[in-house]
Amino acid sequence: MSEQSKLISRRDLLRGVGVAGVAAAAGPVSILSTPDAAAAAEPAAAQAASAAPREAFENLTAVEADLLEAIVDRLIPTDSLGPGAREARAAHYIDRALGGALASSRQAYASGLAALDRYAQASRGKGFLELSASDKDSVLMDVESGTVTPGIFAGSSAQFFTLVLNHTRQGTFGDPYYGGNSNFVGWDLLGYPGVRTMVTPADQKALEAGQLKPNHRSAYDYEGFNKATARVESHAGDMKHGD
Amino acid sequence: MLGAECVVPGAFRVARCGVRHVGGSILVALTLGVAHTAVAQTPAKIVVTSATLKEGETIPRQYTPDGRNDSPPLTWTAVPASAKELAVICEDPDAGNPPPFVHWVVYKIPATAKGLPEALPIDAATKMPADLTGAVQGTNGFRRAIYRGPAPPPGKPHHYHFVVYALDAPVASKPGQPPLTRAELLDAMKGHIVGQGELVAIYERTGPAQPEAPAGRGRGRGRGGN
Repeated sequence: MSEQSKLISRRDLLRGVGVAGVAAAAGPVSILSTPDAAAAAEPAAAQAASAAPREAFENLTAVEADLLEAIVDRLIPTDSLGPGAREARAAHYIDRALGGALASSRQAYASGLAALDRYAQASRGKGFLELSASDKDSVLMDVESGTVTPGIFAGSSAQFFTLVLNHTRQGTFGDPYYGGNSNFVGWDLLGYPGVRTMVTPADQKALEAGQLKPNHRSAYDYEGFNKATARVESHAGDMKHGD
Repeated sequence: MLGAECVVPGAFRVARCGVRHVGGSILVALTLGVAHTAVAQTPAKIVVTSATLKEGETIPRQYTPDGRNDSPPLTWTAVPASAKELAVICEDPDAGNPPPFVHWVVYKIPATAKGLPEALPIDAATKMPADLTGAVQGTNGFRRAIYRGPAPPPGKPHHYHFVVYALDAPVASKPGQPPLTRAELLDAMKGHIVGQGELVAIYERTGPAQPEAPAGRGRGRGRGGN
């Protein structure tokens, strides 16, 4: 598969994020990482996993959380461009949001994650977590294209894929206030210099030269758009920051 | 009657034969001479076989999304000596909008290749086997440049044509050009097909069909059941 042909490229993904002026920073690399890149990243990931105690999820079960972590890790993988959705804690963002703004998607996650694992078992002979990176990608492609074996998903597997992909993007590139984009890794990946209330001509020049240092500030670090306001809004309008 | 064309089998097409009634007599206006436009001859028959696919029989699950979705192995013989490159297309004429739905496109296959092995890579980083160096996987109906196997909606068996083409000239491609679709490849091959053969196998699913996904969301265009 050549670089130009991938259905979802990192470039496509950046376009979907909607952060102006940063898409050009990315190269045409697949969201789904190559096995080589995955293999290179595996030791570091395994080391990190063994070193850090497992964090509790608020809404997902342990099984669901493991599956979701594995999925987001393939959707926006760690690769030569930098950290991916796992480092951004996109799964934690989704977990947290499923108890609030994305609560209406909770059942879709429960049934969809279980169905995806059943499909992996039925088609590849192993649960999703046990598959190689390449086989995980293959499973996800089938889920995305809606070609999984009939009867395994209660609804459309393609819809479930789109749901998870959208939420993974949110959790990777959204404001860190919502629990994802940990340590601003998503914004750094995009080359997004951060939320600013004022941009000077010098800032603009530095941005265009690729030399503007990211400020690593959440929107809610600014007066006038405080966390209390955000919390009220996010709970009042279900799906406002989701779907 | 004007317009009929006279074709000499195995040779160049002869110019138009005109038959017209004039005053009760029949004037046969035969324009002599050989057409100057080159017309491809009937392609030689390539014999396409597979260690795992059998003509007219059901495709094993391994080569479908009900299994690993690996690409199947293909072999071929009787490739014309004039072949410079080979190409393979897998298409389902029972699906697609318009048909056929395309599952696999491979081109720039060296003319010396005797077939395709099972499970060609699905990622760009994994190299093609040595005897296929230079071969390119084109864009299929799922808009991916890899093989994706049969997944017809339940109801009736679909037919999957694995077509092998021998070309007397390399397929032109530009640096940075996206992998060709079937339509683009057929266009590029026009006038250069010196050999052709196919293996047709079937696949059918049972059970409830998946609900349709919203248009434009993660689905191949013009899928129409595949």
